[in-house]
Amino acid sequence: MSLLSIGLLYGGATLFAMFVGMPIAFALGAVATLFMIIFMPSGSVDTITQNVYEEMASITLLSIPLFILKGAAIGRSPAGRDLYGALHAWMHWIPGGLGIANVFACALFAAMAGSSPATCSAIGSAGIPEMRKHGYSPGFASGIIAAGGTLGILLPPSITMILYAVAAEQSLGRLFLAAIGPALLLVALFAGYAMWKFRREFRAALAQHKLTGAYSELLRVDTLTVSDKFALLPRVLPFIILLTGVMVALYGGYATPSETAGLGAVLALALIASIYSVWTPRELEPILIATLRESTMLMFIIGMSLLYSYVMSYLHISQSTAQWIVSLELSRWVLLAAILLMVVVLGFFLPPVSIILMTAPIILPPLKAAGFDLVWFGVIMTIIMEMGLIHPPVGLNIFVIKNIAPDIPLRDVVWGVMPFVGLMMLAVVVLCIFPEIATWFPDAVMGAK
Amino acid sequence: MAHGLDYVETERAAALPRTAADRILASVNDLVVKTSSAALVAAGFVLTYSVIVRYFLKISTDWQDETSVFLIVGAVFLSSAAVQALRGHVAIETIVGLLPPRVNRARQILVDVASLAFCGFFAWKSWTLLHEAWVDGYHSGSTWGPPLWIPYSLMTIGTTLLSIQILLQIMDEFRRWNRVR
Repeated sequence: MSLLSIGLLYGGATLFAMFVGMPIAFALGAVATLFMIIFMPSGSVDTITQNVYEEMASITLLSIPLFILKGAAIGRSPAGRDLYGALHAWMHWIPGGLGIANVFACALFAAMAGSSPATCSAIGSAGIPEMRKHGYSPGFASGIIAAGGTLGILLPPSITMILYAVAAEQSLGRLFLAAIGPALLLVALFAGYAMWKFRREFRAALAQHKLTGAYSELLRVDTLTVSDKFALLPRVLPFIILLTGVMVALYGGYATPSETAGLGAVLALALIASIYSVWTPRELEPILIATLRESTMLMFIIGMSLLYSYVMSYLHISQSTAQWIVSLELSRWVLLAAILLMVVVLGFFLPPVSIILMTAPIILPPLKAAGFDLVWFGVIMTIIMEMGLIHPPVGLNIFVIKNIAPDIPLRDVVWGVMPFVGLMMLAVVVLCIFPEIATWFPDAVMGAK
Repeated sequence: MAHGLDYVETERAAALPRTAADRILASVNDLVVKTSSAALVAAGFVLTYSVIVRYFLKISTDWQDETSVFLIVGAVFLSSAAVQALRGHVAIETIVGLLPPRVNRARQILVDVASLAFCGFFAWKSWTLLHEAWVDGYHSGSTWGPPLWIPYSLMTIGTTLLSIQILLQIMDEFRRWNRVR
């Protein structure tokens, strides 16, 4: 059988197994095993378990459950509410300040928890009702939270970045740092949009008020005393210290990324124990069960995806496809656009982890040959996958929003989210024109590559 | 469809255990989840300890990384059955919603049979690997060099429990199928 037919069969079988609803991990493992049995020497099938174990027993990959534990500990404590309250108190005087406070709260929380849905639900459950109480339209309020939550997969310690580092064999420290500039760009874009949109809604409400006398909550001005503002700080500071402490441990050369994960998890547990008195086994159980559940699901997908790409590479499917793409001699930007389009389409159906591990062996060699910086591309690819978290048909964050604010019609949420998808595309274009936004920071901290 | 990456709903949504086998496995899973939780937290402490002894006490570290690998790999494999019991291994469900209920039930059974075939095969190969590692005394290649039967046995037990869990779910689906008919 020709290589092309084997490749097509491999891809077709995978799509079939996934779309009939087989769990992603088992579908990948089953297809890989089947092709091992048919097309590879019989000895290779005997080593399948050893293969999966060795791929998974990497300390970098195994830092993922610990980062999830840290996120779950913070996500299930009232830290999100407190963080949100403090930012609101300090920013309410800016036009659209409430919306901007929500964007900032999402970014900070995402950097601590490292998970997109956790951020949405922690900040959104306090933020959406508050914004609506202040007259923000439901779609606008949900758009801010859904989009702000996606920063969780971009900002360190992003699990998506950890996997990309493993798949692309790039430095994790460098990738984490490279994500910071683009994340700030997104925060600025989101905050700028929130301010613009607020002024528009405000003007409309004002005109309506003058015309008909109808009062909108948008027109109300909050007053908070200075002591109100300072009262909220002590609850938030420890988390900000945790965030910076973990980063200092990592970049100051005190700890490896996996040790940072362990340290972060232990510190997060210590913080929720001391600040919110969450420490008994009964109270910790939901945190630990949620962590195990997500880690096991994720690590199974990762282990099986690695087996899947091993088979793909053994049968030369990935190498030939990559060579074929290179031989097309597309111009750099056409190549990039085509690859990103493919990532967008895959993002309709697949979680970021499988997209990265399944496509990396195919798309990275042509990108490298075309002279793209793979650290920079990791950031671009992550932003594209962030879009997948909020655009239909899947958009996980949309469903998280539906969960915390069930009375907002899905249509409003989707329309509220769309402008943010546009802003993310804009960010990708800006990063293509000015790649330094991503590469400058890691070069400054860790030296040029 | 959920990407499954959410902490939002972590209710124990599984149907009540029916047969004796279901009940036994449910209590095994419960025990396993508790042990795995402890292992995960322990891994966090081992890595924290590693940072402390290396940077403050200037003692070189050798066993910490591998110990946490064993703890986490063990936790992940062992709790896979408990995750399967809640149908927590995510799948693409785009098409599923469009099928009539009866066809969908048949699809679910077929999908589970295929999953069982793979997980059963994987569990069987884990047993042979464990046997080899035990008989030939495999050790990890690091300076510390712990025996590999430790993580392999956790992987073997985990995937075996997972296969049993899927088998029980298939039997449950058949029972329901017959009742509806």
